[in-house]
Amino acid sequence: MNHEENKIMAHRQHVKYFMRFLNILPSSLSSHDTTRVTIAYFSVSGLDVLGAISSVSLDLRTRIIEWIYRLQVHPDKNNGDMSMCGFQGSSTINIDLDPPNNHYRCGHLAMTYTGLCILLAMGDDLSRVNRKALVAGVKALQTEEGNFAATLSGCESDMRFVYCAACVSYILNDWSGFNIEKATDYIIKSIGYDYGIAQCPELESHGGTTFCALATLSLTNQLHKLSEQQVEGLKRWLLFRQVDGFQGRPNKPVDTCYSFWVGASLKILDMLQYSNYGANRRYVYETQDTVVGGFSKWPDTCTDPMHTYLGLAGLSLIGESGLLEIEPTLNITKRAYEHLKSLHAKWDNEDLHVL
Amino acid sequence: MSDSGDSDVAWTYYKDRPEWNDVTPVPEDEGPNLVVVIAHSEKFVDVYDYFRAVLQNNEKSERALHLTKDAVELNPANYTVWQYRRDLLKALGTDLRSELDYVELVIKNSPKNYQVWHHRRVLVEWLQDPSQELELTGDALMQDPKNYHAWQHRQWAIKTFGLYEKEMDFVDNLITDDVRNNSAWNQRYFIVNNHLGWSDLNVQREICYTLEKIKFIKNNESAWNYLKGVLIHDKRGLSGNAVVTSFCEELYKNKCRSPYLLAFIIDICDEAIKKGETNCLHNATRAVELCQALATKYDKIRSKYWNYMCEKFKKAQQEEENNKEKAANMDE
Ligand SMILES: [Zn+2]
Repeated sequence: MNHEENKIMAHRQHVKYFMRFLNILPSSLSSHDTTRVTIAYFSVSGLDVLGAISSVSLDLRTRIIEWIYRLQVHPDKNNGDMSMCGFQGSSTINIDLDPPNNHYRCGHLAMTYTGLCILLAMGDDLSRVNRKALVAGVKALQTEEGNFAATLSGCESDMRFVYCAACVSYILNDWSGFNIEKATDYIIKSIGYDYGIAQCPELESHGGTTFCALATLSLTNQLHKLSEQQVEGLKRWLLFRQVDGFQGRPNKPVDTCYSFWVGASLKILDMLQYSNYGANRRYVYETQDTVVGGFSKWPDTCTDPMHTYLGLAGLSLIGESGLLEIEPTLNITKRAYEHLKSLHAKWDNEDLHVL
Repeated sequence: MSDSGDSDVAWTYYKDRPEWNDVTPVPEDEGPNLVVVIAHSEKFVDVYDYFRAVLQNNEKSERALHLTKDAVELNPANYTVWQYRRDLLKALGTDLRSELDYVELVIKNSPKNYQVWHHRRVLVEWLQDPSQELELTGDALMQDPKNYHAWQHRQWAIKTFGLYEKEMDFVDNLITDDVRNNSAWNQRYFIVNNHLGWSDLNVQREICYTLEKIKFIKNNESAWNYLKGVLIHDKRGLSGNAVVTSFCEELYKNKCRSPYLLAFIIDICDEAIKKGETNCLHNATRAVELCQALATKYDKIRSKYWNYMCEKFKKAQQEEENNKEKAANMDE
């Protein structure tokens, strides 16, 4: 590949790339069948960061919004139980089920979070979101340990879903389903001897889970719970992840997505400006496919929507021109974030009227 | 895992199987708005149409159990299918040992899938038998010594069932194979922290072990991080362990300029400043010099960070000099 040419953003190709994913995917992606909402999130947020949300036609926008709302799980008609509320990731199990199997049709925290992000990016006012029910759904998933499971029906619990639960609570402006003290405790217990943060206590520090943990502390206003030593240690650990691009763990290969995970973590700690933008930028561009669009994790490998979005988001963090600014904690554009803030103000007003 | 689709010739669709003709398949209801549609193979559609029917009918049968096998083969990430399979195993009283063998096979094919490891964990909990877990995760770590899922499962099994006995040997081997394997160093910390304990003797032994490895390869962040981790448990701190400080100074004298060594000496200086125990080797002036050397020569990619650190130490350096002046004035 011509490396000179590859330093330029293939803007038009990336827009087309995301548009393709919003329409139809090949059968080789069958293993993403239950998490289609996340693919839609990467595509919609990707278009947003490219400043191309207006290239989504009104018809497609409506289709996406209606599709997301159809995946919302509502309270049990018979007993009002809300523990399974949230968004599903696809219509695979979007069927009516009688007890005792009705819990199989349940929300998934990552889908609820990314589903809400899609609605925000599309400019929806969240008026059809059953906020109370979603918050109850979040509450049902927090464990004794303080972390969260992804779903009611038989899923692991870890740092990823702590983050998703925090995002959902933040977006809905309601923390009654999220025990902040317990979650903070879990996060602090997951800090390693090298000051990075792991998926669970004592596991190896990891760039992705460090992001989840720091973003949660930021969204819950708990960053001050970290000691000075922990903060300085985290800064060091995160900055040491830079090789040219960023790696996720010491002595692992560099990967495009960590330009976001580690970059956003540094941004949250107000330290991103101490990293090397030039080398970071060069690496991410090396993973760009200028012909059909998209970014991959390594140069000359297969692109995917996740690495494409995170590559762009990582570039946006370091001020790449032609990209919209990213709100690092929620991982949506500032534009979508401002829209959320206006909704919060509206909800506050409505609450006042009720009083 | 990709969908094997039309490649296996002997495949019969569920809709063509006489033993299933009492069941009406339930197609996926996508609704009127098609977005992010996956063009599934006909086989995928067929299997999942029958899975939905079984779930809706709450059918608990051997044939349903078999169907879940086909369904997870097409998509091992479908957590609902796995959960229903567990319900079936319970309802049918299936031999869980054969299920352990089965999931082992699936793990071998999809070693980085969250759902399969979760299934494994639930089975081990049900059986209260962790006797195969070290071998299973050991095999997965042979394929990929940094597989996060395998390490997570292994730590869980060890912690839950107290399987620490031979773990240090396992870790030793991995570190010998690849001294840069950060996951193995992390596991080492896990064993000492939970099992051996941080007695003075153990701290000293871990320090010696780590210094040996650093001697061998100096530019290895994993070993340096572990060294700092061990020293958390040394009452004398980073700066108080003579073995460590003299080792570092020896390396420095022998022209080693690994960023990890220099950063480590900076941390020793930092601690000495904070404790008010600076000396001729470890003080703010030295820290400033090292930060500058890193910024301009030995760790240029992080030059901004080292300059930022340098500014902090310059403040401390100013204070040091003020104190010296004060002391000199007093002597006069
Ligand atoms: Zn990646």
